[in-house]
Parts: sequence; C-alpha cells; structure tokens
Amino acid sequence: MSGSDTSWLGQSLPRHEDQRLLTGRGRFLADTARGCVHACFVRSTQAHARVRSVKTGSAAALPGVLAVLTAEDLGLDGAHLPMLHEPHPGFAEVTRFAMSDPRLPILASVRVHYVGQPIAVVVAESRHVAEDAAELVEVEYETLPPVLDPTAALAPDAPTLHAHLPTNEAARIEVGFGDVDEARRAAAVTVSDTLRIGRHGAVPLECRGVVARVDDRRDRVEVWTSTQIPHLVQQALCRVTGWARDEVRVAVPDVGGGFGTKANVYAEEVVVPVAARKLGRDIAWVEDRQEYLMSAAQGRDQVHHATLAVDANGRVLSWEDDFVVDVGASSLWTAGIIANTAIHLMGPYRVPAMRVTGRAAYTNKTIVAQYRGAGRPEACFALERCLDAAARRLGMSPEEIRRVNLLTADDLPYPRPIPYRDGVPISYDGRDYRACFDSCLEMLPRTVCDELRENYPEHDLGYGVATYMEATGRGPYETGRVRLLPSGRFEVATGAASAGQGHETTFAQVAADALRVSPDRIRVGNGDTDPVTYGVGTFASRSAVLAGSAVHLAATRLADRACGYAAMLLDTDAAGVVLGAGGFRADDGRVVDWTDLAAAFGPGGRLEGQPSLDELAQFRPQTVTWTMGVHAVVVGVHRDTGLTSVLRYAVAHEGGAEINPRIVEGQVIGGVAQGIGGALLEEFRYSPEGQPTSTTFADYLLPGMCEVPQIAVKHLYVPTAGNPIGVRGAGESGAIAAYAAIAAAVDDAVGGGDWRVTSVPIAPEQVRAAIARRSAAVAS
Amino acid sequence: MDHVSVRMTVNGVLVERQVPARTSLADFVRDELGLTGTHLGCEHGVCGACAVLVDGSSVRSCLMLAAQASGAEVTTVEGLPHSGRTARLRDAMSRHHGLQCGFCTSGFLITATELLTDADAVEAPDEGTVREVLSGNVCRCTGYQGIVRAVLEVAGGGATAPSGGEPAARGGGPGAAATAGQQR
Repeated sequence: MSGSDTSWLGQSLPRHEDQRLLTGRGRFLADTARGCVHACFVRSTQAHARVRSVKTGSAAALPGVLAVLTAEDLGLDGAHLPMLHEPHPGFAEVTRFAMSDPRLPILASVRVHYVGQPIAVVVAESRHVAEDAAELVEVEYETLPPVLDPTAALAPDAPTLHAHLPTNEAARIEVGFGDVDEARRAAAVTVSDTLRIGRHGAVPLECRGVVARVDDRRDRVEVWTSTQIPHLVQQALCRVTGWARDEVRVAVPDVGGGFGTKANVYAEEVVVPVAARKLGRDIAWVEDRQEYLMSAAQGRDQVHHATLAVDANGRVLSWEDDFVVDVGASSLWTAGIIANTAIHLMGPYRVPAMRVTGRAAYTNKTIVAQYRGAGRPEACFALERCLDAAARRLGMSPEEIRRVNLLTADDLPYPRPIPYRDGVPISYDGRDYRACFDSCLEMLPRTVCDELRENYPEHDLGYGVATYMEATGRGPYETGRVRLLPSGRFEVATGAASAGQGHETTFAQVAADALRVSPDRIRVGNGDTDPVTYGVGTFASRSAVLAGSAVHLAATRLADRACGYAAMLLDTDAAGVVLGAGGFRADDGRVVDWTDLAAAFGPGGRLEGQPSLDELAQFRPQTVTWTMGVHAVVVGVHRDTGLTSVLRYAVAHEGGAEINPRIVEGQVIGGVAQGIGGALLEEFRYSPEGQPTSTTFADYLLPGMCEVPQIAVKHLYVPTAGNPIGVRGAGESGAIAAYAAIAAAVDDAVGGGDWRVTSVPIAPEQVRAAIARRSAAVAS
Repeated sequence: MDHVSVRMTVNGVLVERQVPARTSLADFVRDELGLTGTHLGCEHGVCGACAVLVDGSSVRSCLMLAAQASGAEVTTVEGLPHSGRTARLRDAMSRHHGLQCGFCTSGFLITATELLTDADAVEAPDEGTVREVLSGNVCRCTGYQGIVRAVLEVAGGGATAPSGGEPAARGGGPGAAATAGQQR
C-alpha cells in the first residue's frame, strides 16, 4: 500500500518487528554480548542475616577471573537506588499518604534482607569461570530470624528489618468519602471477608541482562539493558555514581517481555557499568532463570479485609477495605502499588461511601515492582468477590447485582470526590459501563455452561463474571522525536521502550498518519537515551497514550514546518501548500514530495543550511484516561483432582481509538493468559526460613498451550478527548479481572456450602475438600 | 578444563571445533557459531525457547551437550527453509499475531516445523493435537491464540475451538488438556 488519503490509524497492519524475529535475527541482550567478559553475582543464601565477612581470595585466584568486587571495591559502599515514584503532593495530602525509603544497598555488605540479594560480583573471561568463581566466594553470615508475614511485620513488637527505619511500614494510605458508618446502618446485607492475592510476577521469557561497553573515545559508558525504562535507569545510575548524563548512554535491544519486572531499576544495572569503567573492560551479565526467580522483582502479594454493605435491591451503600501489601525487602514502586490499589477499589460502580486504608510492609522476601495491573487485580478481586458474596446472600445472580450498580450513560462522565495520583480530581471518562457488561454477557452468557456440560462428564462447570477499571496513560510526560532522513524516509524515537508491544509498528502508523506517507517509510528505534534525552518509559498502560501522542505532535509539527520548505521549493506561499498522500501540492497543482524536500537539504540544494526537519515533542496529559472492561469465563473443575480448567473466556472493554486493533487485542489476550496463571498456577513460595522454593519452571508454573483457551475480545470504541489520537491504555487490562472472574466461576462450579474462593492461586486441595464436603452433605 | 572435538553439520555447513566438554549445544550454536536465534529461556528444559532440530527431531539444546550432537545434522531457526510450509508458517504467525516479544518464537517455529513435516503425523491435525504437540513451548506474551491459528492454517486443519459462547466439539479441546497440564 502506498500513501493514501485513508488514515493509518485503526489498521491492523502486520508488525515491522516480525520479519527479523521470525528468522532468528532479533537482537536480544545476550545476543549482543560478543567480545565481552562476563559477570556473575554472588548472592545472599540467607533471608535475613548479618554479614560478618566476605572472603574473595580463592575466587580471585581462579584462572580466568579478572576481579571479584564488593561494594567497597566499587566505591558503592552505602549506595542505594532512588525511589522511582512519589505521588503528587495534593494526592498525598488528601490520602494522608506516607512512605519510607528502604535504602537497600546496591551490594550488601552489612546485612542481607532476602535470598538472592547481590553481595559481590565476579568478572571473568567466560560465564562458566565466573560462575565457578562465584561459588568460591565465602560469605560468613550471622543468621537473624526472618520476617515473612507482612501483618506480623507490621506488629509493634516485630524486629525492624531496615536499621534506619523505626518500623517495617513501607507506606500507608487512606482514601475515603461519604459517611460509611451511617450508610452501613441502612444495609440489608453486609458481607465481610479476608481476601488474598498470592505472590507471583512477570516472569518474561527472557531474563534480565546488562552489557556495559566502555567508550574511551567519548569518555562514556554505553549500557545496554533489557529494560522498559532506559531513561529512569540512566537517571538512577547518574544519581548513584555522580556521573553526568552525557557520560552514560542507556539503550535497549530487543526485549523478551517485561510486564513490569523490567520497569524497574536494578542494582545489577549499576554494578555492571561501574565495574566496566573500573576495569576498563566491556562486561556482560546475562541472568539465568534460577537467578531471575530468586532475585528479580516480584509482584502482587496482598491481603484485603473487606466489608461491603448493600440494600435489599443489591445497591452498594458502603465499601470498606483495609489491605496490606508485602513489598518484600524493598520496592522502588511502593507508592505506585499502594495508591493504585486504593484508587481502583472503587470499580466501575456507583459507590456512595468508601473507607480504604492500606499499608505496605517490608519482609525478608524478594524485592517487588509493578506487575501488569500493579494493585488493580488485587483491588478488583476484593470488590468483585464481595459483590458475589452479597448477591448470594440476597439471592440475586452475580450478573444482576452488577447491573444494578454499574455506571451507565446517565452517570458518565462520573466525577469522584478524590484526586488521582497526579493530584487531578478523578472523573471516569467512559460511555456506558453497563452496556459494556451486557456486551460481554452477549458474547459469553451463563447458558453456555449448560450447553457444555455434557462434553465434560468428569467436571463440574461454573460461570463467573467480573468487571474492572483501569486508569491508563499516567503522566507526567513522554517524548517523541521525528526526523526526516536524507532519503526522504523518517526515523522515530520515543522514551517508551518496547518489550514486545510492537512500538515499531504502532508509532510508525501514528507518524505515517500525520506525515501522509506509508508506514514502511518510517523506522522506529527502541528506547535509547541518545536520540531522546528525556523520557519516562513503558509501563502503566501509558505508551500508546503518551508516546503515541508525543509522536503525533512531533510528526504534525514536522509536517507543518515541511509545508513552509515545500513552499520555498515551489516558489509559492506556505498558506497555499497542502500536504497529501502524493506530497506537497501548490494551489496551481505543482507537487514536491518528501524525497525532493530531503534532497534539497543537501550541498547546493535549495534548502542547504536551513534548520533540518527534526522535531521533538513532549506530550503531557492533563490526567489519566480510564479503560473499563468485563470478563466472563466458564471453568471446569475436575471432581477427583480439584484442578480447574478454563474452558471459555470473553472480554469486552471500553477502549479508546485503536492504533492497531490486532496489537490491542493481543495485549488483552496476553493479559488474560497471565491472569489465568495468577489465578490457578503461579506462586513464589518461601520456606519458613525464607528460602525461595519456586526457583525452577517445575515449581513456578507458567500457563501453557493447554491452560489458555481461545479468548474472545470485543472492543467498544470510545475515544477519549484526553489526547490528540483518542487512545486509551490497554496493556494491563487483560490481567486485571481474570482472578475475580475465575474465582467466581470456581465457586459456581463447586456450588453451595460455606466455602468460597478467597485466595489465589486457587489451591486444588481446597477445591477438592469443598467438593468432598458437598458430596457428604448430599449423601446425608 | 577438558576439551573435546565436535564435528557436526549446522544449517547445512560442516563445522568442527574444540570446545570445553561441558559446552551445551545451545551455547555451541550461540557462542561458537554466532547463531543467536536460538534463545535460552530457562536452561533446564521446560520453556522450549532453545529448541533446535537434531537429525530432524526437535531437542532442547540447553539439555544436550555439543559433544552429544557430534556427527548429527543440526538445524537452528536460521536454517529453516525460506520456502514451502515453514515460509507459510512465518507468514501466518505474523498475520495472526502469533508473536509479541519474539523470544519464544524460534522454539515454536522449530517445534511446529517438526509437526508440519512429520511424515507420521496426521494429515490435518486438529486444535487439540496442535496444542498438545506445542505444549512443550512456553509463550508469556500472546496467550497462544495466534500461534495455534497460524499452525492450524498451515497444517490445513480445522478451525480453532470457539472462545465465546459457541458450543464446543465433544471432548478434547483446551479444557480437557488443561487438567493434565496443571499437574506438572
């Protein structure tokens, strides 16, 4: 397809990325390590201990070892990473938000706080030798009792894990409005429950990795890292080392999945470049899977004590929740997680009174970052489980109680009496959430259970439904840059690094639309601090919204300026020049195209010496835009094993304009798959001593081909006015409601009795016990 | 470190190297031959990202020593044909969005190629068969939907099972297999 006057937005173009990835020509971090020496980290084998000594002599003596380096050796003694997020002061004030800085050392030298915490780094000629040497480093520990339960960690008599802090409280928040106590008095039914969302996480198929190359010519170090946030890595690295920004380039190769675990800054991303500069050698660190499952940031791990009051018709009167987040030894994202959880507890419903208190606690488990949804799945699980419980008490169906409470076109836009994390008062900017609900039920109605039953004679079938809200496209800003190349083609760069989201395709579509050219004339680089000095990154369902809008602004400005240059070439007035698919047309019909324009900047050309066509734009949204959606699921619970199979799945969501519908759909489906994993399979488990026991893929179970069914997705087109291309975020939405929907379906399958799913991943032994109790009750 | 001599044909080219005895086939093709399309996702034989064909059968190259493959014909993703069914599979994978980050893709292409070229395999495998054959490969991004559709399209098999409210075929399907999978 050549440039045409139809829009490039909204088209499911094939992805530019695919050609190289389908022929083995992707370049992931480990693929760029040629010529490097290799780093291997010495990690804590204890969950909580004082470090008495670190003896590196025998390791350093091993042939092939270049250095064994501790914090002191690297000049990093006492250094720690900066927190990555603090909420807006206005939000903090209203929510009485407070947080502490755990200041976890980049390399531990005095005390260790989790198994897997880095203590020293070995640099050797090969990865094999580096691993051999790491095993020879002798760390003498004085074991301390580990604290593994977040509620116990917050008890007044709990031992404090971080010496500079008075307690183990990582953060606290209070969000509320309306008179909860008064509202509750009028309740027909009040349900209370304790709901747990287990510890699991992103687990991308590519682990982490860093390659640091010393560039003596430019007196700088180039850091290639498998990250979603190169600019935040650069900032943190500079803050810790004191290096100037122009001494560090951070660039992103192909990234094999992120999902939040790589939207984090890691100690390893500091240690490897510091060691490279110290030794004057190019160093690669390529994480292995066991290392990832012990030491990379994990997610979720929340407990909610929730109480929902409804009237006789099922209308919500008041909603209370007190939750605790276990952020492990440290999280640079505590503020984001706890605030996301609190805010998303409101759901897409009319909630007249709410009282939420949340706390985050330090424990001796692995560090935590945002994982796809980052507090939203947990909030959704708490609210939706309570709605199901209330419906049951009232004798209503789960569908009915939701229809009673869902916001409709009459309610929307729906302002809430609290600010979002950016300090701007919340207003849901959707169209009709009840219509979205009905649309999902149309795709997958409860009756499907009955139709399927005879196909699964060994299973009890159940149906579940859940809804979610997702604030997407959080600021403060993102950068886009569009540059005309000498060939008449274009290069696009943004601060939003791609970890599989297809940015090369979607940002090219956005730019092509504004430049009136075919997307195949546009190349999009991955995250890199060289072409774009300031950026934020890819997380929080923000890239399409923010980076997409920034590219749109930059491309639009570039096109405007280009019209002026085209007018010079056409010897006419800029006002008379129109940019179309064929190029720049004067009102007398004469045309120059982008190739002519690019060539004219060359030596002797009409535009020689003119400022080049290279535009940089920042997009700053006024506030977030909200995506709402509904999940419906049919599960089969095997009567003998208690194992749950997901048989049918449907998602309807109120998304915005779509840049590439297939990519949006892929994000939603991929999110559901991860939600299925979290609901049924995945958990980071720890022994009573704090030893992680989910350190292989035989213990940490990822959903496979046979666990994820085909998932139907319906996109309801509700563009937002909050950004110039009308898009809403969708990257996390698929994961959010899967937990609650599957839990409801398992309840429905097991049916009756007192037992309900209150904890995920759903334990087959609990399901089996509930089935046994039901059988016993029927028999008696 | 003891070195061993290995000699094998990789993507049609005869190669001979002295390598440390502990060198895995994966490290051999990646580090010695620079064929980095073979990816390491777990290095303990679960994820399937490192699959290569050894004498026509898919193996996990992280679990095989280079020395064990001595004398064999090895095909990595770089050596898969650019015509015929594999080419159609690549095209179908792209059209059905069967990949996002692309890290697992090489392994899926290898395993699916084995399925599509297996003379003993059923003529037109159904969705259940495709899922079972590919169940040794993990994808964390796509939810597998596009991969299944792509393989079915090229295999000339039936349509995929319904996702929403359409009634299912009797037995089989993702649900029945899921029970087994969850017991891993």
